[in-house]
Amino acid sequence: MPIRKLPDAPPSVHILGPTVFLVALGVGMGESYMWPRLVLLFGPEIRWLFLIGVTLQAVVMLEMARYAMATGESIFSGAARVFKPLMWFFFIVAIAVYIWPGHLSAGAAAFEEITGIPWVVTAVAGLVLVGVVFTLAKVIYNLLENVLSLLIGALVLGTAVVAAMVGSWSDVVTTISGMFSFGYLPPEAMSAAWFPVIVGACAFAGPSGMQQMWYTLHLRDSGAGMGVHLPKVRGLRHAGEEEEMPSRGFMFDTSDPAEMAKWKGWRRWVTFDALLLFWGITMLVTISFTVIAQSAVRQNPAVRTAIQGDDREVALSAMADAVSSAGSSVLGVVFLGFIALIGLNATLGLFDSFSRGQADMSFHFVPGAKKLGMSKLYGIFLWGVILFGILILLFGPADGPSGILDTLAFLSTFAMGAYCVTLLLVNNRMLPKPIRPKWWTNVIIGFGAVFYLGMLFYSLFAYGVVVG
Amino acid sequence: MGGRHSLELALPGASIGAVAGAMAGGLTLLAGQPTGMAALAALALAVPLGLFGGLYGMLLGHGVFRPGTFGPVGLYWMAAFPVSRLAQEILAPTGGLAEGVPAFLAYQAMIALGFAIGFLWLHERFMPHWLVRRAGDNPLAQDLLGTYLRFARVVEKRKSARKGARR
Repeated sequence: MPIRKLPDAPPSVHILGPTVFLVALGVGMGESYMWPRLVLLFGPEIRWLFLIGVTLQAVVMLEMARYAMATGESIFSGAARVFKPLMWFFFIVAIAVYIWPGHLSAGAAAFEEITGIPWVVTAVAGLVLVGVVFTLAKVIYNLLENVLSLLIGALVLGTAVVAAMVGSWSDVVTTISGMFSFGYLPPEAMSAAWFPVIVGACAFAGPSGMQQMWYTLHLRDSGAGMGVHLPKVRGLRHAGEEEEMPSRGFMFDTSDPAEMAKWKGWRRWVTFDALLLFWGITMLVTISFTVIAQSAVRQNPAVRTAIQGDDREVALSAMADAVSSAGSSVLGVVFLGFIALIGLNATLGLFDSFSRGQADMSFHFVPGAKKLGMSKLYGIFLWGVILFGILILLFGPADGPSGILDTLAFLSTFAMGAYCVTLLLVNNRMLPKPIRPKWWTNVIIGFGAVFYLGMLFYSLFAYGVVVG
Repeated sequence: MGGRHSLELALPGASIGAVAGAMAGGLTLLAGQPTGMAALAALALAVPLGLFGGLYGMLLGHGVFRPGTFGPVGLYWMAAFPVSRLAQEILAPTGGLAEGVPAFLAYQAMIALGFAIGFLWLHERFMPHWLVRRAGDNPLAQDLLGTYLRFARVVEKRKSARKGARR
C-alpha cells in the first residue's frame, strides 16, 4: 500500500463518532426483548452469557477498527487480500440475510399498537422515506450521524428515566449479580426448545450478523485514522460531485515514532468509544429493559406466560400492558414508543450499512463497477433492497420464505464466527508488525470464533435445531 | 451582566434536563389521578433536572468541565440525578422509597450514569450551535466556542490533509 501521513487523533476524548452506528444497530431486539425474556425464564444468573457476548463484541469492535484505521480499507477488502472467496462469502451472506424486511415488523407493530395505523403501511412508508432521504443527502454519513445521535440520545435518556421510575435496587442487584454467575445453565435451558434460543440471544448480544463489519465502512467515512484519505459516499442526487475513490487503501510509516504516537492517540479514541459508548449504552439499555420486565411480571404474573410463548409481538404488548398497570397508560405507550424507536434506528442503520458494504465490495471487485462510482453503486443497492422489501411486505413472507428461515439464522450466526477468523488472519498477516494485535487480543478473538461456531454447531448436532 | 452571560450558557443543558424530567413526570400520570397531581409530578422532576442541567452548562463555561469528556459528567450526575429523584419522591411520591432512602439513592446513582451518557450526548449536539448564536454578545460563550473551535480546527486539519493528499 502507498504510504501517507496519519492524521492527528482528536485532541480530547470526544463523545461523538461512528460508534453511534454500531450502537444504533446493536441495541435492538436482543437487548429489549430476547435477554429480558431469558431472565424471566431462567433467572438473572443467565446474564453471564450476555456479559461475555457484549464484552466479546467490544473487543471485536476494537479489532475491526485496527485494520480500518490503519489502512482506510474496509474489512471486506482485508478479507479479499487474504483470500478472495472469503469476501464473496460475506457478499452472498449479506444478500441472503439482510434483503428480507422482517426487521421492520417489530418496530412497526409497536407503532400500530400506539396509533392504530396498520404496520404494513408504516413499514412501506418508512422504506420509501429512508430511500428518499438517503438519495437527497449530500453526504450520507453526516446526515445519518446527526439523525441517529438525536434518536439514540432520546432513547438513552428516556430509558434511564423510565428505569429510574419503575425499577428498584433489588431488581438491579439481581440483574447485575447474575452477570457474574459464570457457567450457570439450568437443565431446562439445555433442551431442544431453549438452547437454540440461548444461542440466538448470544448472537444478538450487541451487534449481530455482519454489523461489526459494516462499522469499518462508517469509520472510513467519518475520516478516522487513514480513512481521512478516502472520499465519502454521497447521495444519488449529488453523486456527480463525488471525488474519485482510490482502488486501494493507504498505510502510514510505522517506523516513524511521531506517526506511532498519533496511532496510539487513535487507539485511545476508539477504545473510549468501545468501552463507554458501545459497552456502556448496550449494558444500560439491557439492564433497564430487564428491570422493566421484572417489575412488569411482579405487577402481572400473566406476563410470564405471554413471554414464554414464541410470539414476539404478543410478548411485547403484554410487557407494555403490565408496565401500564404498574404506572400509567402513558408508561405503556412510552415502552412501545421505545420499541418503535429501536426499530427505526435499526432500519435506518441496516439499509445504509447493507448498501455501503455491498457497494464497497462491488466497486473494488466486480469488473466494470468502478465506472459507476461508489455513490451510484450505493444508490443501486439501496433502492434494490427497498423495492424488494416493499414487494415482499405486500406480497410475501417478511422474514423470508419459511423453508429457508433456519438457513438464514444459521448464516447470520456463522458469519459472526467467520468474521472472528477473518479478523485474526487480516490483522496478523496484512498489518505491519508494530501495529498488529497483542497476543491476548488474538486469544479473545479466537475464543469468539469458538464461542459462536461452537454454540451454533453444538445446537445443530445435539438438538438438530439451528438458532431460535 | 456576568450573571446573564452565565445563564445563557445554561440554556441547552437546562432544556435537555427539563424535557427529560417532564417526560418522566408524565409517566406518573396515575390512572384516574387529577391533572394537577400529574403536573406536580412532572414539575417535581423537570425543575431539578433542568436546574442541574443548566448548572452543568455554566460550569462548562467557567472551565470546570471540559467539553465532551465523560468521567466528570458521570460523577456530576451520580450526585445530581438521585437528588432530583428524591425531591420528586418527596413532593409527589410514586412509591420509590419503599426499600428505604439509601437503597433508593444507590439505585438512582447507578441509573444516573446512563442518564449522564444520554445528557452529554445531546448536550454536545446542541451546545456548539447555541454558542455560535450567542458568541457575538457574550464573552463567556465566545471563550467556550473557542474551545470547541480548537477541536474543530484539528478536524479541519485532517480534512485539508485529505485535500492536499489528493492533489
